[in-house]
Amino acid sequence: MTTRRGFLKSGALALFAASLGGVPNFLAQATNSRKLMLPYKKNKILVCIFQRGAMDGLMAVTPFTDAHLQLARPSLFMTAAQSSSNPLLDLDGRFGLHPAMKSFEPLFREKRLAIVHGMGSPNPTRSHFDAQDFMETGTPFDKGTASGWLNRAVGLMGHEAATPFQAVSLTSSLPRSFYGDHSAIAISNLQDFGVQMRGNQKAAMAASKNFEDLYDQTSSSLLNKTGKESFEAVKMLSKVGSRNYLPANNAVYPNSPLGNSLKQIAQMIKLDVGLEVAFAESGGWDTHYNQGTANGTFARNVNDLSQSITAFWTDLDAYQDDVNVMTMTEFGRTVHQNGSNGTDHGRGSCMFILGNEVNGGLVHGHVPPLAKENLEDGRDLPVTTDFRSIFSEVAGKHLNIQNEKVLFPNWNGQKIGVIR
Amino acid sequence: MEEVVKMGLEKWVQRQLQADFPNSALEQRLAKYETLRMSNAQIVQTFPKQGQVLKMAIREGLIDKDAVRKDAADKISKQEYQAKLESYMQQKGFKPQRILYQEMVNQKILRATYSENQLQEILTSFWFNHFNVSLTNKNCDLYLTSYERDVIRPNALGKFETLLLATAKSPAMLTYLDNFKSTSSNADLTPAQKQRQERQIQLLERRQEQDNTMQQMQVAEKVRRAKKAQGLNENYAREIMELHTLGVDGGYTQQDVTQAAHIMTGWTINPAIDGYRLDNAPAAINNPKRTEALQKQGFVQEGDFLFAANRHDKGRKEVLGTTFPPQGGYEEGLQLIKLLAHHPSTAKFISTKLATRFVSDTPPRSLIDKMAKTFTEKDGDIREVLMTMVAAPEFWSKEALREKTKSPFELAISSVRSLNAEVHEPRHLATWITKMGEKIYSYQAPTGFPDKGTYWINTGSLLNRMNFGLALASQKIKGISFDLVALNQNREPESAEAALITYSQFLMPERNLEATIKRLTPSLNDPEFGFKVNAAAHKNQAVAQKEPQEQEEQMMLDQPKKRDAEKNTSVANTTFHQKGGNSPMLAQIVGIIIGSPEFQRR
Repeated sequence: MTTRRGFLKSGALALFAASLGGVPNFLAQATNSRKLMLPYKKNKILVCIFQRGAMDGLMAVTPFTDAHLQLARPSLFMTAAQSSSNPLLDLDGRFGLHPAMKSFEPLFREKRLAIVHGMGSPNPTRSHFDAQDFMETGTPFDKGTASGWLNRAVGLMGHEAATPFQAVSLTSSLPRSFYGDHSAIAISNLQDFGVQMRGNQKAAMAASKNFEDLYDQTSSSLLNKTGKESFEAVKMLSKVGSRNYLPANNAVYPNSPLGNSLKQIAQMIKLDVGLEVAFAESGGWDTHYNQGTANGTFARNVNDLSQSITAFWTDLDAYQDDVNVMTMTEFGRTVHQNGSNGTDHGRGSCMFILGNEVNGGLVHGHVPPLAKENLEDGRDLPVTTDFRSIFSEVAGKHLNIQNEKVLFPNWNGQKIGVIR
Repeated sequence: MEEVVKMGLEKWVQRQLQADFPNSALEQRLAKYETLRMSNAQIVQTFPKQGQVLKMAIREGLIDKDAVRKDAADKISKQEYQAKLESYMQQKGFKPQRILYQEMVNQKILRATYSENQLQEILTSFWFNHFNVSLTNKNCDLYLTSYERDVIRPNALGKFETLLLATAKSPAMLTYLDNFKSTSSNADLTPAQKQRQERQIQLLERRQEQDNTMQQMQVAEKVRRAKKAQGLNENYAREIMELHTLGVDGGYTQQDVTQAAHIMTGWTINPAIDGYRLDNAPAAINNPKRTEALQKQGFVQEGDFLFAANRHDKGRKEVLGTTFPPQGGYEEGLQLIKLLAHHPSTAKFISTKLATRFVSDTPPRSLIDKMAKTFTEKDGDIREVLMTMVAAPEFWSKEALREKTKSPFELAISSVRSLNAEVHEPRHLATWITKMGEKIYSYQAPTGFPDKGTYWINTGSLLNRMNFGLALASQKIKGISFDLVALNQNREPESAEAALITYSQFLMPERNLEATIKRLTPSLNDPEFGFKVNAAAHKNQAVAQKEPQEQEEQMMLDQPKKRDAEKNTSVANTTFHQKGGNSPMLAQIVGIIIGSPEFQRR
């Protein structure tokens, strides 16, 4: 595997060297810094997917043997019984995966995919805004934290950003997770990365040359340096061709915002542009009305989520060893269904972690029998695993981050072993 | 600029500080935005959340629950139900929230572009960002219109204490930083009060079962939330010290924060404006008899603000060495605000932020000291502090010149202003500002946007700045039009080089642009350049024909005379005679100027 990886890397580099008449500056730096890290430390990549709106963890991964849940959800409960028309995928005799996530099942069986259930924030807020803010800052009781946890993670990586693409969010504006002092960029579409004029490619090329000249000579060091990096980055992407991208292994990404984001993240990984932390979003999880069961809103959402991630994983091919995917959502939803066939804001939810070093094939965490006395505030799946426990373990082991006190201030550091 | 020369600089600054230039042209442009004149209560009533509307429509039997369910499986019924929902909203006079958001963003762009009182607008942005609240927060979003209009702008050039107090009492800040729900853990309800509350809840619940109207739903929501546990929330107390006054190194402790939080308990929103939206809203006081009784208990109601005496901690507190004796009520909050507004750390912190805004990302210590001295001596008078800043040699020093990088908003506004552009529909400009990294009114954290070049400039945003320049100059940004040749008194430049020199001076007067011009001239004179641009222009012409609707829009905006001129211009002759006199070549040059490093600097 390592040999193949090494080959791919030098292959990409050689391609640049040939097409650009030299290796771009920042890429050369990247290679140098990697040389310093090699052979024991390789650049790892963490991909975070935020499911905004609060996913119903109890429907994604259902404790289907729990009669309390069945009672609480007369029209939303699903079973793993083979006699039913669209049964849950029985993971371990107790938890069943939503059938629309069937593409996750093989990954789970191969022990690369882990699920953590009862995950959430110690802060009991049920406001989307507050809970997302707390999860993204990583400080569940302090809204004032200026930086996001992923930005702090970038700062703790132990080496300088070698390229502008160290931390990239596939969103139109920078997410709260990326706020902070370390460089992080938001790109909504890789194809927009360049000097452009609609329907006017030649003029754009002329302008690009002019801009490059101007930024090359400006007296502002910030503009000069960033300008240089920008044009090198543009050349890099355009030479290898971000257009007409063909995923490996016939991977098919859903044509959805998340699918497109992950496809572009895969491109960046394969282009070896120095990506280490990537961020993408998935929306539509706030299912107060007619959540649906095997079909419907929720099913469409989980189908998109799992298909996008599976396509990404398939596409990554030889790069899988270096990549870890982690989903997150601000809280879960009520155990009882509400009056409009949906669920309201709750507490604990579940998350998915995918990677070759993941302690997979298990539903981690603790989900008690859902009798009223076991529920938080008598209504919600209790939070039994602090999200920081998972975030810090994944970031710590995968990205080799040592200083957890900076990553998650005031956190006790307890781990549950989701990474081997 | 001409104005400045006519009046003399000092007098101009004085007038700007008074912010009393007549502004009728701007007022006219803003007239169509109804939300700008609406109160918080009106906005809350007009812009309910979509979920709320749906709930109401279902309860009133207008939309069948099952119809909603079908939408999942089948698209036609989804459209049908969307249509139903829309007609329900119309019937009730409800509007979608995006209209409110859009009008806010639009007015900000229009004010920045057309206001005669520029300094007031700049200071309004500055203080809004200093006392940041955010459209991303769905507790406070509906209050932002009034926040900027009634809290920030009128106080932007006044006394700091007045401004600080106004923000403390504003629904936007009270919700954004949670103080509205902060309650003393030892709030003293008498047994009689508790019983009354209990009875009221029971009564409401019974009524709720009988009746499903919207009003009752609101009440039910209130009841549900009233039952929730209440407690102390330190969020606002921490941020008022860390971000609004003393600064993080301003010399306060966690103990001070907790004590200040106790002082601020009971500072909340008048539930009459929208109690049902919020957690833990106290009972409304709208009955005059009751109001009198509550006033006797120490309640204070001022417009949208309410001091709820029954939630206030009545014990003794101590903040920053100052003792607040028991039973301080509303008054002790005012004292705390005064204490913080006049603290030496505040003088320094505010002066540093102002100097960072106007002078440099790393302003000189000597300048900050001068400003802080004025702040202290002149009772936190913001005008005086700014006068001190402008009078200081550091403000005019060579080091300070062009030190600041324009924010995306500043870049966009300075571009349309120097092109003398007509902004018909500002939201398209807003889209570009977001693309360049500044989503207006939407910075999520209470810190506000960082005011430094390294935050604004990165590979992604820099390319978007260049693309913005090109798109704007070639009139590709919808809702904005201008006439480049008119800018030069209808004289066409003789050559690309002449155009570069002339338009650089329009866009960046009083700068030494020798280097920029020298650097660009050879490539402009390169026949390749003209060829490429013109070739592209032909292609563009073809594209334009494919988009008749867009073209029509443009025709309507153009004056008839110009249209005639355009007709008479042959397509082949694409030098400087094109639509509105704006040839692709000229547009390209102006686009490059706007995207150039020099134009990114202030």
